[in-house]
Amino acid sequence: MDLFDTTQIGLERALSGAALRQEAIATNLANVNTPGYRRQDVNFADALQRAFSVGSRSMVEEVAPAVAVDSTAPIRADGSTVDVDKEAATQAENGLQYQALSAVIKSRTAILRSAMGVG
Amino acid sequence: MGLFDAIDASASGLTAERMRMDVVSENLANAQTTRGVDGQPYRRKTVVLQEADTSQNGFAAALGNAMGRRANGVQVVGIAEDAAPGRRVYDPGHPDADGNGYVTMPNVNSVTEMVDLITASRAYEANVTAMQTAKNMFTKTLDILR
Repeated sequence: MDLFDTTQIGLERALSGAALRQEAIATNLANVNTPGYRRQDVNFADALQRAFSVGSRSMVEEVAPAVAVDSTAPIRADGSTVDVDKEAATQAENGLQYQALSAVIKSRTAILRSAMGVG
Repeated sequence: MGLFDAIDASASGLTAERMRMDVVSENLANAQTTRGVDGQPYRRKTVVLQEADTSQNGFAAALGNAMGRRANGVQVVGIAEDAAPGRRVYDPGHPDADGNGYVTMPNVNSVTEMVDLITASRAYEANVTAMQTAKNMFTKTLDILR
């Protein structure tokens, strides 16, 4: 039996995915005035959901969030695909998601600690 | 990888927007300057922005590559001059007036500059917010093991 179960691994993957997503959003916002810039995004939710619906630990472990260029976003007159309002909303959502994930990870770790008799 | 990259990207955005603000201020300050450094009327300047890339030289880029981090964010690649012709104003008393009494004023439109100033200011705020979000996320991570 492993110390960390599949859920904990999945939470950790989601946390690093959210961190990477923040990086992508920050890059998009930095390039808000760069003509021809294409926005980036990170999509790990689909892969994680698929892994969890199968319930396979190795599939959850293999989920690797990566930055990809978003080719579906509408193009502005100057060729850039960054929409500041959309980025700000995504950023707020992603930040809250990150806080929720870290809160869950923290309480799960606290349970582990008390089980070990150190908490 | 990690949140520090997000902070780096936001920092590059702050630098770029501040540079835009500096250039807009210079344009506004010189909106009536009929004698630039070359003796010609002042020409409006614009900042050229480019997505930061890893192919550039320099220690930071080399270190980033070695650590498997890609450079991200934005960079100022130069300041370009607007080639549009200047306004012609009839003012025979002006020392820089030509034979017909016309003075060539700089090609600076203060309304355009004000719009650019607001855009730069808002983009700066957006980058500050992004940086704050990254910082909050990082603090939360440290909190997990507390």
